[in-house]
Amino acid sequence: MSYEFHLPDIGEGVIEGEVVSWLVAEGDAVALDQPMVEIMTDKATVEIPSPRAGQIRQIRFKVGQICPVGDVLVVIDEPSSSKTFSSSGFDLGRVPTQPSILMPPPSTPAVAPPAGTSDSNSRVLATPATRKLARTLGVPLDKVMPTGSHGRVTNEDVQRYAEGLSSTSPGLLSAPTPADAMARVHIVAPQVESVRLPAVESARPPVSPALEERVPFRGLRKRIADNMTRSKFTATHFTYVEEMDVTELVALRARARAKAAERGLKLTFLPFIIKAVVSALKKWPSLNASLDETTQEIVLKKYYHIGLAAQGPNGLMVTVLRDADQRSLFDIAAELERLGADAQAGRSKREDLVGSTFSISSLGKLGGVLATPIINFPEVGILGVHKIAEKPAVYNGEICIRSLMNLSISLDHRLVDGWDGAMFLQEVKTLLEDPTLMFMEMR
Amino acid sequence: MSLEDSPADAPENTGGAALNPKNSAFNYFEGSPEEKALGLFSIVGAEGSFSEEDVQRIPRELALRIYDGMLTVRVVDRRMMALQRQGRISFYGEALGQEAAVVGSAAALNAEDWLVPALREAGAGLYHGLPLAKYLAQIFGNAADVTKGRQMPCHPCDRDTNYVVMSSVVSTQIMHAVGIAMGMKLQGHSGRMCIGYMGDGGTSEPDFHTALNFAGVMQPPVVLVCQNNQWAISTPGSSQTASQTIAVKGLGYGVESLRADGNDALAVYEVTRYAAEKARRGDGPTFIELLTYRVSAHSSSDDPSRYRDESITLEWRERRDPLQRMLGFLTAQGWLDVAGAAAREVALEEKVRELIQAQEGVPMPSLESLFDDVFEAPTWLLDEQRESLLAEDRS
Repeated sequence: MSYEFHLPDIGEGVIEGEVVSWLVAEGDAVALDQPMVEIMTDKATVEIPSPRAGQIRQIRFKVGQICPVGDVLVVIDEPSSSKTFSSSGFDLGRVPTQPSILMPPPSTPAVAPPAGTSDSNSRVLATPATRKLARTLGVPLDKVMPTGSHGRVTNEDVQRYAEGLSSTSPGLLSAPTPADAMARVHIVAPQVESVRLPAVESARPPVSPALEERVPFRGLRKRIADNMTRSKFTATHFTYVEEMDVTELVALRARARAKAAERGLKLTFLPFIIKAVVSALKKWPSLNASLDETTQEIVLKKYYHIGLAAQGPNGLMVTVLRDADQRSLFDIAAELERLGADAQAGRSKREDLVGSTFSISSLGKLGGVLATPIINFPEVGILGVHKIAEKPAVYNGEICIRSLMNLSISLDHRLVDGWDGAMFLQEVKTLLEDPTLMFMEMR
Repeated sequence: MSLEDSPADAPENTGGAALNPKNSAFNYFEGSPEEKALGLFSIVGAEGSFSEEDVQRIPRELALRIYDGMLTVRVVDRRMMALQRQGRISFYGEALGQEAAVVGSAAALNAEDWLVPALREAGAGLYHGLPLAKYLAQIFGNAADVTKGRQMPCHPCDRDTNYVVMSSVVSTQIMHAVGIAMGMKLQGHSGRMCIGYMGDGGTSEPDFHTALNFAGVMQPPVVLVCQNNQWAISTPGSSQTASQTIAVKGLGYGVESLRADGNDALAVYEVTRYAAEKARRGDGPTFIELLTYRVSAHSSSDDPSRYRDESITLEWRERRDPLQRMLGFLTAQGWLDVAGAAAREVALEEKVRELIQAQEGVPMPSLESLFDDVFEAPTWLLDEQRESLLAEDRS
């Protein structure tokens, strides 16, 4: 006999768990209460002991996969002589698939009764006062079209029905009307949605499922959301934008590109920007920092790992160029290529993804004019790089066509004052406008 | 009497209380109020050392009963945590590492005494007479549960043994304990007392102040026990209070305050017995701090490795384990050997598994029981709701 183990709610109100490791493999014999699998939820990482003795027949979720609470995690074959399945009285139907303690399950039925069937059993939402009124007026509550929030029948609904009752033939009322059906559809609208909708809007029919697609909010998308939310609600962002004339840099890069090509390298503007940023960070150390909230200390970092925000195959990724201060421009270009290729292929190592001290968000050719980048928390600064475009500009007292670029920087105002931020960006601008200056500080 | 007045060679039993030898742990009780509230009473030390004279007053039967009580807590906790991970119960809170504080204090109670737990004292209830089957029924929330599955698991109660349900709301129960004891006093002292528990976190609540103040003023037969396990979920003792000890807080309310090693079951028993007997005599309340450590997570929903240094936990788990210490004492006395202890554990585990299997087989409370106990006689509205609920299609 095979036994399906459904992932239980191992915390209070946990909805899913990630498989951290399997302590048994398919085909293994497993003893009663033998540790079977480690599951990580948003509350705790716990070891689940086997509820049955037998043989592991099938593992349904591999390491790293997310198993929703209530789904079958593993199937265990029990020896046929075993009678534990029925005798233990342990009914899988009891495994709660809804948060059971903090949030009572919706009190409305999960499916709408088909139109035209007897609806005397369908549950009607109404306050005791409304029920009393209905009782007094002799109104059958389940026949009243509800207009209250969450599909609740109100006193007014009952009164309206009672007034209608005296002027309409009873025969018409016993058949469900389209209005009835609509009201019922509304009752079964998802609980979360009806909670958010103000009472006035709740009478509106819900959008047809064909017009909406519901995508599970989890995995990388969820992690991005969590990180962005934490950053935005913790760091007090301010953004500052500066325009710079990079005509000389464009020329320099054009010359250097040929040299790079000899080495099989693709030289973009990014290595130059990284070098300028590192030089400026050395001058303004409060931007290469983080706040250790547990010890209430500002951590000023003496190493320069530059985080590079880019669109990965599944969404935003930040790869990390380590020790940018100790690398040559070509070296940086090579490392950027490797980081990008590894990220695209999904083979980034852990150190390629963590430990940055300051980040750069580059949209490349798309570029835009300005942005309000969100800090890669707990860092204190992020630089947004915009496209280089030829524009009319005043140069040496004359209007001529120059290559211009904007940089947007977002900083955590808790640690960095506007002055520091402006001076930092000014330093970057100086170096990028006259790139030969950059070499003075290079190692 | 001070220590200097009682030389070691003084004759014993000179009329009233026995004079303790100079090195006796019991001299703790002769200290000043401050010495008692700041000191630490201990009979069997963390290394297993004890004085022969001190343990002469501990009967063999009692020591074995306390050990069995502690073992029961450990075995039941272990089983229930496994059941929780397997989805067979929804929640559990274990008392791992606190068995001595839980059981040693309950061992000082008489059958007619009342017990008001905080949250980790189900083992005290079991020792006091709460049947294990009743406790398990409450955890499963089945039809045999006297509270009909309406309470969170681990919140048992038992009218027969004066074990009051815990509320989960931190510290409300301290006032209940004092109130129950005030009731006992109003009814005329009948040699009964009430013990009320709290955690270290509970002492930061306003209810702690109110309860201690009433205890000091009204002098009811109450013993208030703080299991200082040093963690209030994720709040460490160092962030909980600036007070030198928790016990010393009681002095401000005029309540005698004692402090004992909570992992030494015999010390816990003796300190609670001192306070319980005093209460039964009508000599007023006592506040006791039992110093221990929450080796387990706060509950099955908690992961302490996310907020504390678990190498410290390991130290308490391996070197200060209360069961090991008690077993060391029992074997040193020749009252139990390791093979005997193992046999007791196996037999107990077998019994616990059987009781679990039986309770797991009990069906859930009936759906219509939802409507019971709201009014003495149900109203038409409840009748109507019950009928409508029962008429629903549940296929």
